Amino acid sequence: MDEQPVSIERSVRRLSRRLTFGLFLDVWPTWAVPAVLGAGVTALACRLFVPAAAPYLPWLWLTPVVAALAACLACWRRPYQPAEVVAIADWLAGGHGLLLTLHETADPAWHTSPLHERSSRFTLPRLRPWRRLAPLVPAVAFLAAALWLPQRRPAWATNTVLAEDIAANLTTTLAELKQQALVTPEEEKKLEEEIQRIRQGAEERVDATSWEAADSLRERLVSDLAAKQDALSWTEASLARYAAAVEAAGSGDAQPEAQSAELAAALEKLAKSGLLATAPPELQRMLKSGKLPSDPAALREMAASLSKFLGDAKGRVGDVARLGKEFGRFDPSEFPLGGDSGPDGDGIPGNGGVNRGRADAELTWGKESLPIDRFKSQPLPQGAGRPDDWTPVVELPGAPRESAVTSTAAAARHYGPSSGQAAWRRTLAPRHQSAVKKYFAK
Amino acid sequence: MPGDAQPLVTPERIADGQARVAKLVAALRTVILGKEQTIDEVVAALLARGHVLLEGLPGLGKTELVKALSRLLSLDFRRIQFTPDLLPTDITGSHILQERDGYKALVFHPGPVFTNLLLADEINRASPKTQAALLEAMQERRVTTFGETRALPSPFFVLATQNPIELEGTYPLPEAQLDRFMFKVDVAGVDQAVLEEILVTRVHGEPPPLEPVLAASDLGDLFALVDAIHMPRGVANYIARLVAASHPSAADAPEAVKTFVKYGSSPRAAISIGAAARGLALVRGKPNVGFDEVRRVAAPAMAHRLVLDYSARLDGWDGRRVVAALVTAIPEIERGLPQTLSVDSPAR
Repeated sequence: MDEQPVSIERSVRRLSRRLTFGLFLDVWPTWAVPAVLGAGVTALACRLFVPAAAPYLPWLWLTPVVAALAACLACWRRPYQPAEVVAIADWLAGGHGLLLTLHETADPAWHTSPLHERSSRFTLPRLRPWRRLAPLVPAVAFLAAALWLPQRRPAWATNTVLAEDIAANLTTTLAELKQQALVTPEEEKKLEEEIQRIRQGAEERVDATSWEAADSLRERLVSDLAAKQDALSWTEASLARYAAAVEAAGSGDAQPEAQSAELAAALEKLAKSGLLATAPPELQRMLKSGKLPSDPAALREMAASLSKFLGDAKGRVGDVARLGKEFGRFDPSEFPLGGDSGPDGDGIPGNGGVNRGRADAELTWGKESLPIDRFKSQPLPQGAGRPDDWTPVVELPGAPRESAVTSTAAAARHYGPSSGQAAWRRTLAPRHQSAVKKYFAK
Repeated sequence: MPGDAQPLVTPERIADGQARVAKLVAALRTVILGKEQTIDEVVAALLARGHVLLEGLPGLGKTELVKALSRLLSLDFRRIQFTPDLLPTDITGSHILQERDGYKALVFHPGPVFTNLLLADEINRASPKTQAALLEAMQERRVTTFGETRALPSPFFVLATQNPIELEGTYPLPEAQLDRFMFKVDVAGVDQAVLEEILVTRVHGEPPPLEPVLAASDLGDLFALVDAIHMPRGVANYIARLVAASHPSAADAPEAVKTFVKYGSSPRAAISIGAAARGLALVRGKPNVGFDEVRRVAAPAMAHRLVLDYSARLDGWDGRRVVAALVTAIPEIERGLPQTLSVDSPAR
């Protein structure tokens, strides 16, 4: 076509480009519509049956691009030949045939003729893509709807995911305990077995008992940590009292027997809890010998070493105790308890309001204190009982003992392993058991 | 392929040829008023060296058109008034026993067919046997009698007329005979203004005296010029598709063809369209055939070559209407625009 005058050549090239684009828009929807529909069906199938494919589904939006590549290939394989472009140009110019003739003969004699001038004026065809692209709109809408659908999880997949979720928190807590050396190998093995059992139970059947069992185990971990914390505190206090007594006795060989016995008991309790495993070696040797130093200097040195160790251990135990609480399933902060008299309600159960509906009214009992505050561990005064806990952390040698007959706590402890207690432990989340107990104790 | 064809006829030669043809056309228009389209078709067929069948009611100027043409072209002109008792030898000529130099011999007396321009008036009144006498003359431009073949003078044209309404005592032309005619031109009536013009300018309807505008040598030049008119491959493709689609069995035949056509056009129709389109291109002063010329000559070149079904007559369809439907249905360009592109209407 380079034999044509420049103006004609330019017009024919513009026509050629437009034809190419028009051809692409002709071919592309032919590929894109089935491809997008197929992608939509795939997305729908994955949403319904293949949860594992969910992360990859957004890639289906690239389907039209892939179809465009195929369309480009198809256009490239059957493009408009130059003779066809010139024929169309000639037809658009009125069908005089001169453009075709000049294309075939390359004779310049007619380039300046009025006939040629007339033949070279033609209007480019208009682009009307919507006629072909219209079917693409519902196809894209179908794909969007299929991708927008929430992922359906089959029962087996749901159980597995939930079981993993239930066990994950416990495993993390256990790992933290292990890292902080707050659990003995035997305890760790037991806990792992228990976590595995909870997981298997949840995989088989997911119901309230799965979470309750997990909560129960978590409570036990927290309780153990609280016991270790108490043991540390008692050891600290015993050490302080023993040091004070040694100082008061002067440089004589006589040692204060009572304080020595108390400290020995505290250390024994500490050793049982496994906390001494991480103590410095010289401290362990000294404690294993069972004889406390009477020399004030050696005593001070031991007291300083023991005090430092106890401080570290207390910090670690405190951190892990907090971590254990954070993994709880019930976050009281999500459910403000009373005091709200705004448009959301007055905070009284059963009185309506978006923050106090019927559902959570059963979970809290009026304007009680937050469970997280209730179970905050606090050091008890020496010899004092622990009314809120059934299992005393330690029984001090000099502390008065409660009567097993008259003590409610002792009675509860006595009947603890019975089936009745197991029954209400199973039907109520452990976090709420104290609340129930308090309610019925009024 | 671009660039591998013969060079085009120069604009000067085309302009010269167009001017000479224009003189002929203008002169014919002074004789036959209000028949511009008919004159163009006849001249185009003449330039393409084709025979023309003029069909129309009596008194519409068919014979006058042919007579005027003969006078303007300075060609030898004969007229045969076809009648039922006309014999083939009355057309071709015959051997007559004559005495020459004391001997008797059969001497050939050429018939009226030995001329340049033959007016076969009311051709459908002769018997098919007599009509058939023209077959060889029209197609091969020669006559064979008693085993002797004689060439007809060049150029040789047959311009026949027939009356479409008088069926009593007529013999419709057989398809083979019709196929020999390049064009079948329907001569339509004239409107009131033309009639008024005829009454004012003609005494007793006599046409004005005519002087020849083209010599025989001029006509030869014009024929050479017509032969040099370029036929683009795309246009030839269009003609081929048109003729192929006139067959009801063709895949892209329009519904009208499938319904009303029994047999489509012969390849001779395509040749006639191409030749006539070349002639029309010269009339229009173009160095090449275009789609427009093909569309213009398609009806007169194809309509009489279609063998229509009986249902066509019942439904009021004739050959021209079928060809019009064909031209509408078949696109000029084989590979058209993509569906996403459209034009309001191409320039015409």
